[in-house]
Amino acid sequence: MPSELLEIPLAAVVCWVNFVTIDLFFGLPREGGVSGATAIAQEVEAGGGDLKGGTMMGNIVSSPDASAGTLLASCGVAVAGVPGGLFAALLVYIGNRICYDPGYAGTTGAVTATFIVYAFTLAGFSATSFIVGMVVAILTIQGLSHRHASRLLGRLWKWRT
Amino acid sequence: MIELLLCAGIAGYAALRVVLERNTMRKLPFLNVVSFAVAGAIVLIVPHPLAVLAAAAYFVGSTLESNAIASTWAGGGKKDE
Repeated sequence: MPSELLEIPLAAVVCWVNFVTIDLFFGLPREGGVSGATAIAQEVEAGGGDLKGGTMMGNIVSSPDASAGTLLASCGVAVAGVPGGLFAALLVYIGNRICYDPGYAGTTGAVTATFIVYAFTLAGFSATSFIVGMVVAILTIQGLSHRHASRLLGRLWKWRT
Repeated sequence: MIELLLCAGIAGYAALRVVLERNTMRKLPFLNVVSFAVAGAIVLIVPHPLAVLAAAAYFVGSTLESNAIASTWAGGGKKDE
C-alpha cells in the first residue's frame, strides 16, 4: 500500500508533463477547434482566466486530446501491454475524427504514453497507477480552478511561442 | 483498490462541481473530469482488453456530447459553402 501512495503522485506528474507538452507542441491554445471550444475560452476569460489557456481547456473538452490519449493508453497498457496501448491510440484517432478534430495531438499523446507507461512498468510500477495518475492530472487542470489553470497554461503557451 | 476509490472520489467531487457551477460553459470542464474518472474506473473494475474499447466508446461519446452542447450554446457551427 505505501508504494501505491508514492507511485500515484509520481504517475500523475509524468502524465501531466506528457499531455501538457504534447498539447502545447500541437498548439492547442492557438485557436478553438470548434465554436464551442472558443465559447468555453471566452467564459473562462470572463471568469478572470487567460484566453489562451481557456482555449486549450475548451479544446480538451471538445475532442480527445493528449490527456485522453494518455488515459486510454494507460488503460490499454494495464490490460494488454504495449499492443493494448497502441489499440487505445487507434481508438483515440477514430475518436478525433468523430469529434471533427483534424489534429493528431490525441493519437501522438497515446503513442508516447504507451511507451512511457510501459517503461515505468518495467521499472516495477503498476500501470493502473497511471490511470489514476491521469485522472488526478486532468483534475488539476479542469477541475480545481479554471482561473488559475488557464493562467498557468497561458504562461506556458507564451513561453513556448 | 485505492486507485478505484480515488477515481470514484474524483468523479463524485467533479460531479458536485458540475451541479454547483452556475455558468453552463464553465460546467463542461468539470464534466470532462467526470468522463476521465469514469473511463478510468471502467478499466479498473473490468481489467479486460474489451474494457478499453468500452472506456474509449464512453469517453468519445461523452466528449462529443460536450462538444455538441458547447457548440450549440455558442450558436452552432458555420457551414462553409
